[in-house]
Amino acid sequence: MRILHQRAAFIVANTAAILSALYIGLAADLERPYWAVFSTFIVAAPIAGAVRSKAVWRLAGTVIGAAAALLIVPPLVHSPPLLCLAMAGWVALCLGLSLLDRTPRSYVLMLSGYTATIVGLAVVDVPLAIFDTAVARVEEISVGIICGALAHSIFFPRTVAVELNEKTATAIRMCAGWISQTLREPTAELQTMAASRRLTQLLADLSTLHTHIAFDLSDVPRIGKHLLVLRERLMALLPAMTNAQLAIDRLRASGGPNAPLNALLADTVRWTDQIAAAADVLDGGGSAPSRAAPLDAAAGESVRWPLLLEQTATHQVQELIAVLEDCRTLARAIRDGGGPLPPHLETQVSSARRLPLYRDYTLALLSAGAAAVAVVVACILWIWGSWPEGAIAAQFAAIGCSFFATLDRPSKMLTATLYAVLLALPVAAFYQFAVLPRIEGFVALALVLVPILLLFSFLQAIPKLTGAALILAISFFGGLAFQKMYQADFAAFLNINLAEIAGVLIAIAINLVFRTIDPTWNALRLSRAAWRTMDRLTQSGSPTAGTHSQLVDCLSQVAMREELVDAARRDQVRSDTLRGLRVGANLVTLNSVERDCGPTFAAPLEAVRRSIGSIFSAWARQRSTPTEDLIGSSLDTSIRTVTALPPSAARMKALAGLVALRIDLAPHSAFQDLQETTA
Amino acid sequence: MIGESSIAGVFFPPLLMLAIGAFLVTLGLRWLLRRLHLYRFVWHAGLFDTALFVVVLWLMSAATTQVGFSGSAIS
Repeated sequence: MRILHQRAAFIVANTAAILSALYIGLAADLERPYWAVFSTFIVAAPIAGAVRSKAVWRLAGTVIGAAAALLIVPPLVHSPPLLCLAMAGWVALCLGLSLLDRTPRSYVLMLSGYTATIVGLAVVDVPLAIFDTAVARVEEISVGIICGALAHSIFFPRTVAVELNEKTATAIRMCAGWISQTLREPTAELQTMAASRRLTQLLADLSTLHTHIAFDLSDVPRIGKHLLVLRERLMALLPAMTNAQLAIDRLRASGGPNAPLNALLADTVRWTDQIAAAADVLDGGGSAPSRAAPLDAAAGESVRWPLLLEQTATHQVQELIAVLEDCRTLARAIRDGGGPLPPHLETQVSSARRLPLYRDYTLALLSAGAAAVAVVVACILWIWGSWPEGAIAAQFAAIGCSFFATLDRPSKMLTATLYAVLLALPVAAFYQFAVLPRIEGFVALALVLVPILLLFSFLQAIPKLTGAALILAISFFGGLAFQKMYQADFAAFLNINLAEIAGVLIAIAINLVFRTIDPTWNALRLSRAAWRTMDRLTQSGSPTAGTHSQLVDCLSQVAMREELVDAARRDQVRSDTLRGLRVGANLVTLNSVERDCGPTFAAPLEAVRRSIGSIFSAWARQRSTPTEDLIGSSLDTSIRTVTALPPSAARMKALAGLVALRIDLAPHSAFQDLQETTA
Repeated sequence: MIGESSIAGVFFPPLLMLAIGAFLVTLGLRWLLRRLHLYRFVWHAGLFDTALFVVVLWLMSAATTQVGFSGSAIS
């Protein structure tokens, strides 16, 4: 029922926005009122903050693109080949940079790329008109997006807060479920990968919502920083989970956990199950299992491997509990719009900043190249084919290549776009040649358009059909293209729309050639990028949090594509990915406690870092890795140094990190028990 | 070009300049109101902000017509 209300509200707001944009467009005598109309469709979203942020970015992108056209076209208008190359270059540059950004903000750059083609290529016959055309596009788009932003803020607005609270609750419920599952079945790598896929999706959603918070209605509390910390904690959960999983697995293989650890495991499983099943995931579920300090092997005491394993496993389960508790505290603060936090979270929240995502230069370069080639191909057809509407084909080739450039297979969505265009055209033709000739005045126009507006808005309100509805709406209004004076020119209608279709076809062909990426190759490529990032993580002094965020992001990209990798390689990719997540998290832990562990720890830790770095740079270059004994002995030296330190929280963390690294990187070399070496 | 502002040789209608100014002022006011937690007393923030913008725009245009700003040129 609530969903129905939301959709009805969206439809009302959207229809109001479109009719007002159309009215203003016609009344102000704009050149192409339909541009205002489909700008409204483009910014429309169920959340007010999303509409407003997209409105701002669309305005900025349009202004930049129009300005670029003003700079590019006049000097080059007399040499069309150079103009085409310059346009293709601009589109490619903007698209490439926008793909490196990977936040919703990237829309600004993508849009400025193809707006330049829309403004610039339309006026090559009349270069004097370029300034007026640029101003007209900016005006039309401004009218559309301002109407959209206003209507979606005034008519039953839905703020980001509701969506955000739903998403955080879902995230915590799922994480609680995974923790319980991980502790019960420590060998289930498959479920961990599935969990990582869901978590990656959730993290991406939360990141998108984060960008909308600052743009939402004024009464929405600005809790962006809380959300950043929550996101960072959720991100830490996956490595923590797979670390705990492995330690418990090894412990079970070598005789099983002792009684206190077993009790802790049972308590944690019960607690997380309660949270996952609770009606109110943030407050329900009872209190967390007590996190008593793990039995510390006292300094100088004999240190045996099973004991180390047990301490590590205990510490890691406690870490999981702590992270989940932090997540719930933060989610409560987000729900209540701020409020007091425990000191360790308070300091993090006040210094929170957006962590960088992995930058995929290869993909950006490929997509940018594809867009440039598509524009050039369309321009060749246009110039050498003496095809008057070729400019429109070039514009649509640029739009098509830009719009779906983030996808793994853009050609698939482009084909769907083609079908949507073909579906919308007959309807547009019906309106253009059967309905519009019989009506006069804005009221009549509004009345005949309302059914189709309601239909498109209704489709757009259904999450799965949003994209399809948008394309239908754009091609319908693009096909209709009503001017102030009604012109029923069937030849022009056909020519323009055929050029649009040709542009999309060119985009499909070019994307099939350039952007059909073998998923296995892609996963291996991303893995190698991750190992290079890991290598950077081992160079002490590099800013750890940002690099780690890039590593996790990159490995999450691999995890997202894991199911597409061919069966022979899939197991390898899966275990490598999980291992990468674990090693990265443990390196970060070690870096963070380095100072607290005192000067004696620095040299052995440096040796550990160097040997891990050599492993991952060998992986990245696909060379043979150094022997296990090398890394094993450097880790053992560090473990001995740490066990000699007086007991402290930092010591426990360092010990757990080192033992976990040893399990991962030197599983076969036997640990020298310390009785004889310390003597 | 009476009644238009010229920036680098391009003429802009004064209402556009005023609207941009009013929007910036409204942004500041909204920030202030939020810091003071005054949005608790607002029933419909979207409507309130729109009204606030219109009021600020009207005030600014009233003030500038009094001092004859709209006839001057900024270059």
